[in-house]
Amino acid sequence: MKKYMLKRILFSIFSLLVVVMVVMFLVYTCIHRDVIFQTDDMWNKKSNNERTIYEYNQYQKYGYCTYVDYAMFVKNKYVEKVGEGYDKDDGYKADIQAIQDPETYMENETVKEFYEEYSSKSGCEVKYYEPVRYNNGRLQKGGKAYLIAVTERNVFFRLWDYIKNFFSVETTDMVQDEELTDRYVRFEKDPYSGLFAIVGSGTHHKYLLYFDGRFPFIHQNWIHINLGTSYTTYRDQEITTVINNPTGDIKATLQQYPTMIGTDQYEETAIDFHSLTYNTGTLSEDELAKFPDKYTVYSYNRGGLSIIENSFVIGLIATILQYIIGLPLGILIARKKDGLADKIGNAYIIFIMSVPSLAYIFMFAALMTKAFGLPYKFANAEVKWMAYILPTISLALPSIGSTMKWMRRYMIDQMNSDYVKFARAEGLSEREIYRIHISRNALIPLVHGIPGNIILCLTGAIITERVYSVPGVGNLLTTALNAHDNGVIVACTVFYTSLSILSIILGDVLLAKYDPRISLSDEGGGGR
Amino acid sequence: MNNEIIKENETVNEDSLFRIVGNDAVASEKIIAPRYSYSRSVLRVFFRKKSNYFLISLFLIVMLTAFIIPSFCHYDEYENVTDASSFNLSPAAAIAKYGFSFKYLLGTGSTGNSISYGIFASARTSLSLAIICAAINMTVGIIVGAIWGYSKKFDQIMIVIYNIIANVPYLLLISVLVYIIGSGFWPFVFALTITGWLSIAYFFRTQVMIIRDREYSLASKCLGTPINRIVTKNLLPFLVSVIVTILATELPSYISSEVFLTYIGIGLSANIPSLGRMISVAQTAFMTYPWTFWPPVSISAIITIVLYLLGQNLADATDPRTHM
Repeated sequence: MKKYMLKRILFSIFSLLVVVMVVMFLVYTCIHRDVIFQTDDMWNKKSNNERTIYEYNQYQKYGYCTYVDYAMFVKNKYVEKVGEGYDKDDGYKADIQAIQDPETYMENETVKEFYEEYSSKSGCEVKYYEPVRYNNGRLQKGGKAYLIAVTERNVFFRLWDYIKNFFSVETTDMVQDEELTDRYVRFEKDPYSGLFAIVGSGTHHKYLLYFDGRFPFIHQNWIHINLGTSYTTYRDQEITTVINNPTGDIKATLQQYPTMIGTDQYEETAIDFHSLTYNTGTLSEDELAKFPDKYTVYSYNRGGLSIIENSFVIGLIATILQYIIGLPLGILIARKKDGLADKIGNAYIIFIMSVPSLAYIFMFAALMTKAFGLPYKFANAEVKWMAYILPTISLALPSIGSTMKWMRRYMIDQMNSDYVKFARAEGLSEREIYRIHISRNALIPLVHGIPGNIILCLTGAIITERVYSVPGVGNLLTTALNAHDNGVIVACTVFYTSLSILSIILGDVLLAKYDPRISLSDEGGGGR
Repeated sequence: MNNEIIKENETVNEDSLFRIVGNDAVASEKIIAPRYSYSRSVLRVFFRKKSNYFLISLFLIVMLTAFIIPSFCHYDEYENVTDASSFNLSPAAAIAKYGFSFKYLLGTGSTGNSISYGIFASARTSLSLAIICAAINMTVGIIVGAIWGYSKKFDQIMIVIYNIIANVPYLLLISVLVYIIGSGFWPFVFALTITGWLSIAYFFRTQVMIIRDREYSLASKCLGTPINRIVTKNLLPFLVSVIVTILATELPSYISSEVFLTYIGIGLSANIPSLGRMISVAQTAFMTYPWTFWPPVSISAIITIVLYLLGQNLADATDPRTHM
């Protein structure tokens, strides 16, 4: 069994890597990269060479390629040579100006160095853009000459970079600051939770492991998972941050700054002291007074749920409803096969299956808002929990239908089995036969999907969240696709794929636990 | 105990138990069981259910109207776009404005477009999409699935491919393809079919495997039945109902997918009338101008319900176990 699971997990990791590679290939290579400028105003404003350089700048930002501008190369050279006042240096000015003349620029020493350095690198191409002039010799708008070295990244390098940056563990030599001499990781009493916390010095975050009042009550900053960075939809934020940060308003409470601890001074502030990170700059007077060390960069406490929590709460309640309503109803309509209950149940199942989900969500929303005055749009709810009712129910309705359908099917398949006839011959009541014998056997195929239904709540529901404007994760992928946000697309792929792989494995394990006749590994069991 | 019975039997005269009936050459050639024809039995069981007559006529009406009406009544979404007074007219207002005609019977939409022409033109797109995609996916899926289920070597390769492709988010794949090859009708068919056959093939593989390893099939193999006879006589009769069941769920699912994908903005392009587009355009106005929302929703519901029920009933009828 252990060997089987290990093999299974290794294979899952392999297929995850292949999936990510396929998606990277699709996103970076197959989609023409110009599409990112379709809605870009900056691009429209720029012209000639300036526009080309802007394009490369954006390509680099979106992860298509890396490029080095000659101007930066010259700057670095003179900063090294002259230091601070490099821009006053005559050599610097001459080198920068050198490329503006297309006939003589190759004679310049620095340009030659630039060519030598970059044209020898593999996959790197040096490109020269001649100045664009009017007939009278005046430069056109944005017509300045540019010299750049572009390195296209292929899909294997991209995947390798992604894997390299995926996990990062905070260590005590992360902060590069000579002033910091005392580097440690240790247990300390946490004044904000009253319990202990693991506190680091020299690490990026101060609190590596801590408790607080927010679900799931224990938090860590130690291991960081970088799924990818958003470029357009969430302006340079990491996806893990985007989906985990609470979306509510900033919430100020009476708190003590680190230096106030032990005194009875309090201040009204919204700072989340567990989020402190190291400040590499110089501290202000105020910061010096309030913080004993250089861990002074913070984020604020926010109320409400994060977008992934919103999706998960709605999805989880819908899944619970699906099973506690769908299973008994499925058993009921199977018992009363061809009776009135069965006919009504079947009508419901066919309705749910055949009407486009979009249509019935609107129908349902319209009916419910009219009949019960429930809030329709998420943000309009006066009482926060009321906003969750409609999305949850409209998410649960189709899954109840499909659970009913399958439960009925499997019940009916089991009803003619020999063990049922035997149970009847033994004189068991119909109730006992259905509740104990048939339904337990009929549940076997359904058990496999339970972990998946719970875990995949984390990926959100696309239509439901759109219709009710729920701030959730369901539309992360679709908005990213429309905005060509490559980082988010790859992040979503990794997130969704690993969750679905995980849920299939858990489903198999649960199935094998529920039905001892089923054996996962090759040894034992009746499988071929 | 046995001995006692034998002893009792010994006392009975054997002649009183048997009599000679002779050999009738004509009667011995007759088969007592009624003649069984598979296709006739399917039709008999199918038409035994009276609701099927109604469903078939409804299906024919939908098909004929969806394919014939648009060729007479040309639908142009932007024909009245310059006339702001023609936007979002209720059926009564539209008839008052344009006079009584089939074109404005159901009012106008957000660009002054005729709803009644729109739903038929859209139904034609959606139906053709569903039929073409189902035809491609079913053919490829069933052929690959049959080989996949029968050959154990092929199974090992295909399972790896399946595990990898099934993990690429469906939405992602389709939208990326739509971006690469455009969002016309045929590119969209391509996007829906490039991996769509895989799940059908996987489902079919499992069904083939189950029947392949049944005792009667193994026995037949041991007796030396050639493979084409095993496929046509042992496997196919069981699989026809499976194939029809897949068809019954596949056909409506393409209409739903089209509606869904167009709603989230990665479906068919704007110049092709489709139910998904009509619904997504009308969805913001479904409270204020309900006549723009309900006709496309109800036509898509009618199409899917009819296709699903017909398919289910046909699947029941094609199952040989119901022919007794």
